[in-house]
Amino acid sequence: MSSKASVTVLGSPEEVRRRWQEDGLRPDYIESHDAAVSFKAAPGDRGTEIHVDLEQTAPGGKLGEMLMKLTGKEPLAKVKDDLRRFKAQFETGEIPRSDGAPEGELAERKLKQRPAQPLKADEREKVGV
Amino acid sequence: MRANVWSGRNEVSVETVPDPTILNDRDAIVKISSTAICGSDLHLYDGYVPTMKRGDILGHEFMGEVVEKGKGVGNLEVGDRVVVPFPIACGNCWSCKQGLFSVCENSNPNSGMAEKMFGHSTAGIFGYSHLTGGYAGGQAEYARVPFADVGPIKVEEDFTDEQVLFLSDIFPTGWFGADLCDIEGGETIAVFGAGPVGQFAIASAILMGAERVIAIDQYDYRLQMALNKAGATDVIDFSRDADIVEQLKELTGGRGPDAVIDAVGMEAAHGHGAVHAIERAKQASRSETDRGHALRDAILACRAGGIVSVIGVYGGLMDKFPTGAFMNKGLQLRTGQAHVQKYLKPLYEHIRNGDIDPSFVVTHRLDLDQASNAYETFKHKQDECVKVVLKP
Repeated sequence: MSSKASVTVLGSPEEVRRRWQEDGLRPDYIESHDAAVSFKAAPGDRGTEIHVDLEQTAPGGKLGEMLMKLTGKEPLAKVKDDLRRFKAQFETGEIPRSDGAPEGELAERKLKQRPAQPLKADEREKVGV
Repeated sequence: MRANVWSGRNEVSVETVPDPTILNDRDAIVKISSTAICGSDLHLYDGYVPTMKRGDILGHEFMGEVVEKGKGVGNLEVGDRVVVPFPIACGNCWSCKQGLFSVCENSNPNSGMAEKMFGHSTAGIFGYSHLTGGYAGGQAEYARVPFADVGPIKVEEDFTDEQVLFLSDIFPTGWFGADLCDIEGGETIAVFGAGPVGQFAIASAILMGAERVIAIDQYDYRLQMALNKAGATDVIDFSRDADIVEQLKELTGGRGPDAVIDAVGMEAAHGHGAVHAIERAKQASRSETDRGHALRDAILACRAGGIVSVIGVYGGLMDKFPTGAFMNKGLQLRTGQAHVQKYLKPLYEHIRNGDIDPSFVVTHRLDLDQASNAYETFKHKQDECVKVVLKP
């Protein structure tokens, strides 16, 4: 299983690096797993590539790995969520939310989508929107 | 509120669901005055698009009045009358900045799902499966519109809903299909499918200066609309003669059309007996999602060195792609969901100038509560149905 994930964000490496540390934007999962993170300018003014290498084997070996894949808790999937959310917040100022995935990009939601219809008040409270 | 939801294959029902609320600063809530059923909704209705869930609110062609807005929406006011584009686009990412709004990099919160299917994610779309975000659609009384500071266009003139509603999708989609053909004047363009999108592709090609536009369909009433309303110069009715490629040759002195627009997509109806039967069986057993007669014939019919423009919706994989013809004839294949946001203003101007009145496609007007009947009528082309507008 690959331990690498990357995303390109439309901003200079200095700005991206600075905002990576900002409260509310700092990617929790990546930070808490002590993954190797590197930033480099993308060619042709396309912004900054963020590369993450999660040099960590899944707890529980192969079985655990499969379980985590099924439940969306695969470490790499969590890393990708973090990268997606950082990119969206950096570029748009918000986390894009739909009715099916009101928390925004979330690996655990992939298999448990809500129907695409508005949330009830108690659901909104749970999601925090 | 009342909303039309997907309830399984060939089943929709109008149910009472919670009202939408603002979830993000750049959201607006629109009270819907008119909403339409799109041909691509039939792909969902027929069950060919994966990742649908029971209870999903359908609909991606709608307009109405802004009744609430988040604090990040500076360009709209409560009370504004707006048409909402079907792709949801942030306006900030690299793709949006290039005008490639339908492949917005941020608006699909299920991008991980889309990446598995397509390699890369595309934009979120209202009411169009969870693969494109799981957004509630607009066949409802209200809709939440994300990135409302980027998408919706204000309607300030005294147009009827039906004159501007189709800016949401089918007019820009048809225009985009023609735009991909690099029309400079004098071309011959063939359009597969004389449904609503095909009608607008025909009308757009004529507006751009094409000299001949050939409409292809199996329903005479649609071909009559293409000739009399959209401006097609010739028609091919393949219910009479299924060899479309040969007829296009005949109509073009053997050259073939300079560009061919596929406004059909994954549920092509024509095709020769055996291949068609195999494809239906493969779709039924889910070993192929896309029937490809229209695209195959488009490639075979297009003149050497020409352009094949694909705006009909495909969702997965298809067999027997004519790679030999495609490669050796030096064709260009251009595709996509329309970048609606890019075309809204110029197309609004065309309507204002009287170059086109998009309401010509409307054949049926029904209450939202009759959505179930409307889908059946539209699907089975009953009562000479071309386009249904629903009133919430």
